[in-house]
Amino acid sequence: MWEYITFGLIVQLFVNGILFGTMYGIAAIGLSLVFGTMRIIFLAQGTMIIFMAYICYWIFTLMGIDPYLSLVIIVPLSLLLGIGLYHILFREAAGLEDKNISLLIAVGLMFLMENLITVIWTANPRFIETSYTSFAFRPMGINISVTRLNGLIMALLSTAGVLLFLKKTMIGMAVRAASEDMISATLVGISPHRVNAVAFAIGIGLAGVAGVGLATIYPFDPYYGFIFALKAIISLAIGGIGSVVGALLGGILLGLIESLASFFFSGGWSDAISFAVFLIVLMFKPEGLFVRSINKA
Amino acid sequence: MENHLLEVKGIDVLYGDVQAVWDVSIHVEEEKIVALVGANGAGKTTLLKTISGITPAKKGEILFQGNSIAKLKPQEVVDIGISHVPEGRRLFSSLTVLENLKLGAYPSRARPLMANSLERAFSLFPLLKNRKDQKAGSLSGGEQQMLAIGRALMAHPVLLMLDEPSLGLSPIFVRTIFELISTLNAQKITILLVEQNINQALKIAHQAYVLKTGKIAMNGSGDELLADPEVQRAYIGKRWSKS
Repeated sequence: MWEYITFGLIVQLFVNGILFGTMYGIAAIGLSLVFGTMRIIFLAQGTMIIFMAYICYWIFTLMGIDPYLSLVIIVPLSLLLGIGLYHILFREAAGLEDKNISLLIAVGLMFLMENLITVIWTANPRFIETSYTSFAFRPMGINISVTRLNGLIMALLSTAGVLLFLKKTMIGMAVRAASEDMISATLVGISPHRVNAVAFAIGIGLAGVAGVGLATIYPFDPYYGFIFALKAIISLAIGGIGSVVGALLGGILLGLIESLASFFFSGGWSDAISFAVFLIVLMFKPEGLFVRSINKA
Repeated sequence: MENHLLEVKGIDVLYGDVQAVWDVSIHVEEEKIVALVGANGAGKTTLLKTISGITPAKKGEILFQGNSIAKLKPQEVVDIGISHVPEGRRLFSSLTVLENLKLGAYPSRARPLMANSLERAFSLFPLLKNRKDQKAGSLSGGEQQMLAIGRALMAHPVLLMLDEPSLGLSPIFVRTIFELISTLNAQKITILLVEQNINQALKIAHQAYVLKTGKIAMNGSGDELLADPEVQRAYIGKRWSKS
């Protein structure tokens, strides 16, 4: 195998890893925001992404609307879905001392969605094939698929959007404050339900973006959501819980690890290595790899 | 003619099965400084938490400007004009000084006034202006206390509740904090003060309550309690008598 390795190939593996890793990254940002105010890992995040991928698929096949154009429907829809999910499912449980209840609701939601998706769309893998699906740029012999590049651009734009929102708006600042100290946040007048709902809205909104990104890049089936959630959790652990940029970088790093591992070992090894990295980071640097650089920013 | 801004009537507060406050009644008159003093664990902090809605009372009534507030949530209590600076300051330490102050003006009543409130906070605490883009967690203890009070003032409180504002501060900052409390009071802000620095607290208080194991043991004007031999012996002692 080693005789095939060229500089160009290595660059290609890096590019692939980075491009796909941004999808993990925005999923992890959603997890990070929800964890911030709710103190739970929202395990259904991956399934929400898959659900949004199916919605994108539906809009594409039934109405013939381009997947990227469907973002104008999917993003507002997923923001509203996030607010709705919080108020219907989590509102009561969020006030409880025992966060396991909220976590169990997230697990229940994940399995419910998984089964609903299977009933509606069957368990067969779906894929969105457009005229540009197989198109790729080839700068210096490196293959850059246009759908993956679009995924990267969408991820970067939505990360920048989330950062601006958290930094510049009063409710965004309130989300950051509540993530740090919920009691103190209520003492300045912040309603926990308000910030929880906003965190959910952004989390599911990002799931919408990731869903469109994923649907245009990979074939997907209902059960891929749980694996995606696990990847997002690994990204979050690598990047450090509570840091938006860290979560994105964590996702990119995980994408790189997977890309290199599946080439040099195999697809099976790639997952094993990802989880090993997850454990090693948690053991030796539980605050995440990128935390210090974020605090300065 | 007394003018009660806040009336607490016969409240019981429990943490799980443990009762922290037993049938406590206090009243706070408008534009006065009222001190709550007593040993650790006497229930002073709990009483403030109950007023601000963090730890609701099991029994009893709390009236603010004549309206019952016992069932309100903390975010609603601050909206009607009661700001609580909690023990240990509890700033948002990864947020900047400016962001902390802005969030102080979160209540809808205070938000339109934010620009003026910021100006007022910076003129009251010029130190904070120079550090406005610094993370709150990077400030010294005294600066953090000022920021915590500044943040509470951003909501334009009628009643300001301060929990141990001088705890852990250097003597210079302790003096600054007590001067500040008097200044704020002169600006017609009513103060409810919990302090372990009993001598200083009684000196500036118009009215004071001594709490003992969750019950009111004594009350009177600050001067009366300061002169009381039992208060002297139990809470102040020789090491404070010279200051």
